[in-house]
Amino acid sequence: MRNSIKVERAILSLTQDDLAKKIGVSRQTINSIEANRYVPSTVLSLRLSEVFGKPVNDFFKLTEED
Amino acid sequence: MNPKKAIDCERSTIQKILIFRLPRYFRTLGIVLFAISFLCMFLKSSFPEHASVLKEGANRLMLVAMLFMSMAKDKEEDELTILLRGQSYAAAFILGVVYALVMPYIEYGVSNLVNTEAETFKELGDFQILLFMLMIQLMYYSVLKKIR
Repeated sequence: MRNSIKVERAILSLTQDDLAKKIGVSRQTINSIEANRYVPSTVLSLRLSEVFGKPVNDFFKLTEED
Repeated sequence: MNPKKAIDCERSTIQKILIFRLPRYFRTLGIVLFAISFLCMFLKSSFPEHASVLKEGANRLMLVAMLFMSMAKDKEEDELTILLRGQSYAAAFILGVVYALVMPYIEYGVSNLVNTEAETFKELGDFQILLFMLMIQLMYYSVLKKIR
């Protein structure tokens, strides 16, 4: 799984900390998701979708390995 | 109670146990208790007449202290920390079992190599195994959090 959360965050001019506060997680969790070290739960993905105003599919993409 | 209700009740009880965490101040309390238990270990030699009581007390206090540290909430709890904590408990459990199985043989072998008189084979005590498991859990969790 790869994601474009960093790009979406940049579009909204949000720091990792801002986004973390908006969706109720730690900054390190955002960092781990952006670095593709952690795949978030459906609930967290939907919270991200709400913040970005886009469907989850737009910023999470399956890779060949998935 | 119908079977479906019983299963739901059981599920919610298990969920409550799984997500149970002590308040954050228990971490500090655990560190203080750990320091006290460590101090008791040193006091043992100063009070030889109470050495066994001090040792037993310090051992139990150390386990309680580490359990408090292990179960205390983090400053920032989220789904990633829950996952990492779960991984650290799994690692501690597996390594604890391996330690309990292998360590008596290592101790037996080393003591026979070092001492000229033949040593008897001794099983590990519960304190030693629990201390090892709690140490692994706390260390593993802190490392996982650092590299997340």
